[in-house]
Amino acid sequence: MRVLVCLKQILDPDVPARDFQIDPEARAAKRGGANLVTNIFCENAVETALQFREAAGGDVKITALCYGESSAEDCLRKAMAMTVDEACLVERDGNTNPDAAAVGRVLAAAIRRLEQDGGPFDAVLVGRESGDWGVGQTGGVLAEELGRPALGFVESLQPGNGSVTLRRQTDVGIEVAEAEPPFLVTITNNEDNVPRIPKTRDVMMSYRKPLQKLGLADLELDSEEVRAGSSIFEVEEIFIPADEVECELAEGDTLDERVDQLAKRIHEVVASIG
Amino acid sequence: MFRVGGTVTVMDPTQATREVFWNIEYTWLVYVLMVPTLAVFGWGFWLKVRRWRSGQPALRFDRPGERLQLFLRNAVGQGRTIKRRYAGVFHSLVYTGFIVLFLATTVVAIHHDTPLHIMKGHFYLIFQSLIVDIFGLFVLVGVALAAIRRWISKPKLLVYTDEASWILITIFVMALTGFMIEGWRIAVTDDPWAAWSPIGNLFALGSDPWMTDTAMQRGHVIIWWFHLVVAFGWIAWVPFSKMSHVFTAPLNIFTANLDGYGGSLKTIDFETAERFGINHLGDFTWKDLLDFDACTECGRCTDVCPANTVGKSLSPRDIILDLQGLMHKRGDELLGSRAGNGNGDGGNGSDELLPIIDQKTAVSPEALFACTTCAACMEACPVHIEQMPKIVDARRYLVMEEADFPEGMMDMMNSLESRQHPFAGTQFSRVDWTEGLDIDVMAEMDDPHEAEVLMWVGCGGALVERNRNTVRATAKLLKKAGVKFAILGREESCTGDPARRVGNEFLFEMLAKGNVETMQRYGVRKVVTSCPHCFNSFRNEYPHFGGSYEVYHHTQFLDELLEQGRLDGNGAGGRSNGSSTITFHDPCYLGRHNGEYDAPRNLLAQVGGARQVEMERSRNTSFCCGGGGGMAFVDEPPDQRVNQERAQEAVDTGADVVAVGCPFCATMLDDGVNARRGERDVQVRDVAELLWDAVGESEEAAP
Repeated sequence: MRVLVCLKQILDPDVPARDFQIDPEARAAKRGGANLVTNIFCENAVETALQFREAAGGDVKITALCYGESSAEDCLRKAMAMTVDEACLVERDGNTNPDAAAVGRVLAAAIRRLEQDGGPFDAVLVGRESGDWGVGQTGGVLAEELGRPALGFVESLQPGNGSVTLRRQTDVGIEVAEAEPPFLVTITNNEDNVPRIPKTRDVMMSYRKPLQKLGLADLELDSEEVRAGSSIFEVEEIFIPADEVECELAEGDTLDERVDQLAKRIHEVVASIG
Repeated sequence: MFRVGGTVTVMDPTQATREVFWNIEYTWLVYVLMVPTLAVFGWGFWLKVRRWRSGQPALRFDRPGERLQLFLRNAVGQGRTIKRRYAGVFHSLVYTGFIVLFLATTVVAIHHDTPLHIMKGHFYLIFQSLIVDIFGLFVLVGVALAAIRRWISKPKLLVYTDEASWILITIFVMALTGFMIEGWRIAVTDDPWAAWSPIGNLFALGSDPWMTDTAMQRGHVIIWWFHLVVAFGWIAWVPFSKMSHVFTAPLNIFTANLDGYGGSLKTIDFETAERFGINHLGDFTWKDLLDFDACTECGRCTDVCPANTVGKSLSPRDIILDLQGLMHKRGDELLGSRAGNGNGDGGNGSDELLPIIDQKTAVSPEALFACTTCAACMEACPVHIEQMPKIVDARRYLVMEEADFPEGMMDMMNSLESRQHPFAGTQFSRVDWTEGLDIDVMAEMDDPHEAEVLMWVGCGGALVERNRNTVRATAKLLKKAGVKFAILGREESCTGDPARRVGNEFLFEMLAKGNVETMQRYGVRKVVTSCPHCFNSFRNEYPHFGGSYEVYHHTQFLDELLEQGRLDGNGAGGRSNGSSTITFHDPCYLGRHNGEYDAPRNLLAQVGGARQVEMERSRNTSFCCGGGGGMAFVDEPPDQRVNQERAQEAVDTGADVVAVGCPFCATMLDDGVNARRGERDVQVRDVAELLWDAVGESEEAAP
C-alpha cells in the first residue's frame, strides 16, 4: 500500500508579535526574524499516516510531498526522521504565495509523476488548513484535480479488509466511514495524532533516505501558467490590525456606587453596539 | 599470682619486648590458614578488577600530581568523610585504628619472620604497646558509635542490611578479643611492661580477681585462635562486602574526575556509536563500574538530593546500589562482550544486552527525569562517585533511542529544534530588551572586532519577561564601566545546555557547532554571560567543539570591573535600595559546577545599608532551585516542588531580598518565594539588578 502526505512549510505561527511584519507591496508576511516550521496539521497528517502503517503491520510505504522553497527540505527531512520512507520536493522558484488552486495543480502533477514511477497512492493525506493563511482549500482542490473522492476533518485511519476506516470530526460528533482506495482525506488534530519526536538514530538515517527534487519544468508546468491559474481569490490589502484599548474606570465613593456605575456603562456600551 | 603494682626487679626499657606466639602451639597452622585466606581475598578482588576491565576506556591515570593531591586530601586525609560530624568522628576512629593495628601486625611479622627483631625497646613500649592500645580503643569506640546510629538512632539515609550489621559485629569482636588475649597474656606472664598497654592491662586487672592463671591461659588459647579465625574470615570476606571500599574508595578517589562537575558529561561520536546513551552495563566505562564497587552505602548523595528531598523517587544512592547489584549478579555473564556506545573504540557489540533502565528499580525513567543535574550528590560523596553523569547517560538512551521523556521536555526540545530557544510561545525577540539602550549588534558593526567582549544574553535573559531587567542592568553596568561590548542579537542560539542535560546530545551538538561557527565569524575571544548554564557550556563543553573562549559569568566580570575601580562605590558601599538583609542563592552551575562563590557576594557588599545572611545550605552545599537539567520546563506536582523547598529556606533567613545569579533560578525562586513568603515582602533580584541600584545612574536606579 502507498500513502502520500502533503506538507507545507510556513512562518512560525509562534513568532513573537513584534517580530511579525508585513510587506504591503508583496501583500504577504515578511520572513523577518521568524523561523520556518512545518504546518502543524501537516505534521498531524504525517503522524496519522505513521500510525496507520503501524496498525497495518508495516506493509505501507509513506511518501512526503511538498511544494515549496528549497528551505522546505528541512520539513521533508523531519518527516523522514519521523520514519516516513521517502520524500519529494517540488521547488517553487519565485512564485511566492501561490493560492490553493495553484498548489493543488502542482501537487496533482507531482503525484501523477510519482505514481508513474512507483505505482498509485491508495491514500493522500493533506493537512486540514495551514497556520499562515488558513484558507483550508488545498485538500479539496487537489482531490478535484486528481479526480478522487475526498473527506475532510479526518482524525484517524484504520486498516480494514480491503478498505480503510476513517474517523471524522463533525460539529455533532465523530463520523466513522469506510473508504475504498484510492481517496484523499484532510487531517485534523486530536490528542492521538500529536506528532512524535524522532529518535536520534532516525534523525541521522533521514539524511540517507531518498529525497527527490523536481522543478515545475519536470512536471511540464509553466510557472506563469501556474500563477495565472490562481483565481480563487486575490489579496487586495494586508495589514496588522491595530489593537486599541480604551480604559474607563467606574467612578463612585462607595463600592455600591461604583458597581452601579459599572453596570450602567455596560448597559450603555452593549446598547450602542446594538 | 600476678598482682597490680607488684615489685619488678629489672626495668631496663631498652630490653622491653614480648614473646610472639606466647602460649600458642601449632603456630605453623597460622601460615597454612593464611594461604586460603589470601587466595579468597585475591580471587575476590580479581573478579572485581576483571569486571572493571570489561568496561569502556576512560582516561583516568593522567595528571598524577593532581591525582595524588586529591588522594592525600580525600582518601588519606578523609577530607569529605569528616564533613558530617557524627559519621566523620566514628569513621576516623575506626579508620585510624585500622591503619595502626595493621602496622602493628606488620611489625610483629617483621620481628618474627625476618632477622630484623624490631619489636623491642622504646619502640615496643611507645608504639607497639601504648599507641596500638589507644588506637585499638578507637576502633571499639568508633564501632560502638556506628552501632548506636545503625541500631538506635536509625537515620533515613542509611541502608539497613544484615551485611552492614555483621561488619560492625565482626570488627568489634576482633578488637575486643585482641584486648582479651593481650590482657590475659599480661596477667599470666606478669608482664613488667603492663602499664604501657593500658587497655590490655585493664582486662588483666578485670580478670585477675576471679580467674586463675590456668583458666586465663586456657581462655587465651581459645580466644587467640578465635580471634585469628574471625580476622582471617573477615579478610577473605572483604572483597565480597562493602568493606571492599577500604581498597576501592582510595582507587576511586585517585581516578576521580578532575575537571569539575561542569565538564563531567562525555561526548558521543555519532558516526561510530552503536547505541546512543547507556542502557547496558557494558556501555559504562571501567571508571563507572569502579564507582559501583566504591559505594559505601553512606546515603549522603540521596540525603542532599533536591528531588529526593521533596519526595520524588530519585535516589542517587539506590541508582548506584541497584547497578552494583546488577553488576554483581549478572555482570560476569554479560560484561565480557564489549559493545560500543561511542565513548570508546567501538567493539564487537553483544547479542544480549543487560538493560539497566527498569521501572521496578531505582533506575526508572521517572526517577531519571527528576534529576536537576545539580551535582549535590557528587559533592557530598566521600569517595567521589559520579552519579549525575550516569543519570544523564541513561537519559540519553531514553531520549535518543526511545524518544521517551516527559511532555514539558518534549515541548522544550521541539522549540529548540525549530526556534533555537527553549521558550515556546515567548512574546519577545532576542533584541527587544535592548530598546533605548543603544547596544551594538555584531552583524551590524563595521568592524565586529572592535568589541572586546561578547555579551552573551542567553534565551533565559532575552525571552523571559522577568529576566529582561537583569540583562538590561548588566548591559548598563558594562556601559558605565566603559567596556566595549556587543551582542549577537538574532544570531544567538541556545547554547544547548537544556538539550544536553535532558539527554539530547545530538541536538546539543548541533546547537554548539552552530554557535561556535557564528562566534568564529566574529573572532570572539571573550564572553560575558548572566546565565550560569551558558557560562558552563562555554567554559567546559564548547572547547570539545573547537570553541575556546575566555569566559566570565557577569558577576565575575563585574567584580573585576569593581576591583579595577571602573564602577563607582568601590569599597565605599553604594546607595541603599531600601533592603536590609540579602541572602544569596548559589546557582549550581556557577558554584558547585565551576567553583565561583565569592564574586556575587563581593558585588552584594556594594548594596548600601544591607547585610548579607547565608542560608544553611550555601556555597558548595547550595540547594538547587529546581530548574536545572531541563526541569524548569516540567510541571512538578504541587506537593513536590524543589523551588518551594528552597524558597522556604531563603524566606526563613529573614532576608527581604533573595539575590540570584541565574535566569532559571530567578524564575523558579520567584514562583517559590511568592508561594512561601506569606505576608512579608520578599523580592527575588539578580545580583546585577541590585548592583545597578547601588552604583548605577540614579535616574535609572529604580527601573
